[in-house]
Amino acid sequence: MSQSEIDELRRRLSEAEDTLQAIRQGDVDALVVEQHDAPQIFDIGGGADAYHAFMEVMNVGAAAIDPAGRILYANAKLTSVLGFTQNSVQGSMIGEVSPPPVADAIDRLLEPPLVGPVSAEVTFERNGECVHFILAANPLQLSTTFGVAVTFTDVTERVRAEAAEQSERAARAVIASANEAVLVCDTNGIITHTNAAAQALFEGDALGRTFAEAVPLVFPDATGLMRSEDIVAMAVQGTAVQGVEAHAPQAPKVKDYLVSAAPLQIGNDAISGCVVTMVDLSQRKAAEQQQLLLMRELDHRVKNTLALVLSISSRTLNHEDTLEGFQKAFTGRIQALAATHNLLAENSWTNLTIEDVVQSELAPFTSGAAGRLVTHNLSRLMAPRAAIAFGLVIHELATNAAKYGALSVPGGRVTVQPISAAGEERFVIEWRESGGPQISVPTRHGFGQTVITRSLQYSASGGAEVEFASEGLVCRISLPLEDLF
Amino acid sequence: MTQASNPKKLTLYVAGQTPKSLAAIANLKKITEEHMQGQYEIEVIDLRQNPKLAKEHSIVAIPTLVRELPVPIRKIIGDLSDVEKVLVNLKVQGE
Repeated sequence: MSQSEIDELRRRLSEAEDTLQAIRQGDVDALVVEQHDAPQIFDIGGGADAYHAFMEVMNVGAAAIDPAGRILYANAKLTSVLGFTQNSVQGSMIGEVSPPPVADAIDRLLEPPLVGPVSAEVTFERNGECVHFILAANPLQLSTTFGVAVTFTDVTERVRAEAAEQSERAARAVIASANEAVLVCDTNGIITHTNAAAQALFEGDALGRTFAEAVPLVFPDATGLMRSEDIVAMAVQGTAVQGVEAHAPQAPKVKDYLVSAAPLQIGNDAISGCVVTMVDLSQRKAAEQQQLLLMRELDHRVKNTLALVLSISSRTLNHEDTLEGFQKAFTGRIQALAATHNLLAENSWTNLTIEDVVQSELAPFTSGAAGRLVTHNLSRLMAPRAAIAFGLVIHELATNAAKYGALSVPGGRVTVQPISAAGEERFVIEWRESGGPQISVPTRHGFGQTVITRSLQYSASGGAEVEFASEGLVCRISLPLEDLF
Repeated sequence: MTQASNPKKLTLYVAGQTPKSLAAIANLKKITEEHMQGQYEIEVIDLRQNPKLAKEHSIVAIPTLVRELPVPIRKIIGDLSDVEKVLVNLKVQGE
């Protein structure tokens, strides 16, 4: 045997050994067998056709892949799910041909050791819409190859249904939590949903009744032609109605509302009804009423004050001989009026105490000298009308005392206190001067005296009388009982 | 015609789309692209379609890669996943 023949035999022996070893190690999965002088191909562990056929009848997407992630087979369902053709993916790495979220999920599923079924949920975009799948991987032996079966179950519908349900729950919660009354009607104006706040609109249950019947409305600002059903009809036809004031005469609690209605359109569907919201206007109405009352009151007071100023002006003019005298007396009286007004304004035109008015009017005459004004028990409240008149009286008394009486000399003083006994039908305040010069009854009856005696006579129980006692002037002022509290 | 300008031929015998056949095709493509760009001309023969072609290189196990030239002829059996083994067998010293 030649050397070359020996080399050839060695080569063939080595090749035969390699082949046997490869078969033993499971490196091959098909063999060529001579049958009747014709070679035939035999698959080790059965052909792929059986599992291919099995995968095709599965109603979920399925792929057989090797441990490296190479697609050995993908069924038609999966190729349509992932959008590739069957021929193009066999032999490809699944991570390279799948959408990135799917590739990531498979990478995680194939992380060794892969011992049992593992699954993951994955969401990706396909043809512009979001789809959801559950991926499951399970080890699989395919002839001599260790493989993995991966299934793709489409759960898009379920996820969407859950999302829709969640969204509907949220929408219901929003309606239920709204402070305003919210009513949902169908295209025929029949109420299908109401929230808790809407219960103030009707007695009993309104579901199934028409809006017009359950909540009859009157629109004071519109012509009498507009009614509840018109609001609903407009909204259902696509025209939103915004903020119309309405009166609900049959509503058990609140009757004044601001009504809005909007078409109800879900997604791109046709209008399926309307949503009516009704805001309680009762507080706003009450505030408007209060404001109106206050304006009328202010108007009344301004007119009264102007009349009083005119009267003071003309009377002062009649009693003063000189322009300077007029100016001084007139200014003093207007300032007295202003002092009481200031007090009232500071107290928001609520009632003042007698003490407040006395202190305010005497402040310009007694400031800086302690003990010149002594007051007792003057904490009773009086109405603004009485306060203004009483203020003028005290001003005249104080002016007179400063000119001729106790406040004209050092050491003189004025005591102001109630003198009526309990149970008496009058409330009398006494103004008593002491420590001043001797006085006598004046020969001339000035306007000051008129102010003192007449200012409080607007009431039967009001008035004042002046006594010119030689040791000092005494004035007893009777305050109107109806204006005392 | 010189050897350098005439690419050496590699023949890969597969059996349809068995797992090892698919893996061998993909692995061979990757190895030639990454390590021996342009040096080899590759032919893939599907013995399931034409079993008689197994005779030419006395193929017994599938997949098998055959390097015909330069002599001596070399065969690598399996899915070619061991890149080092493939390279050692194809790049004979001095070629």
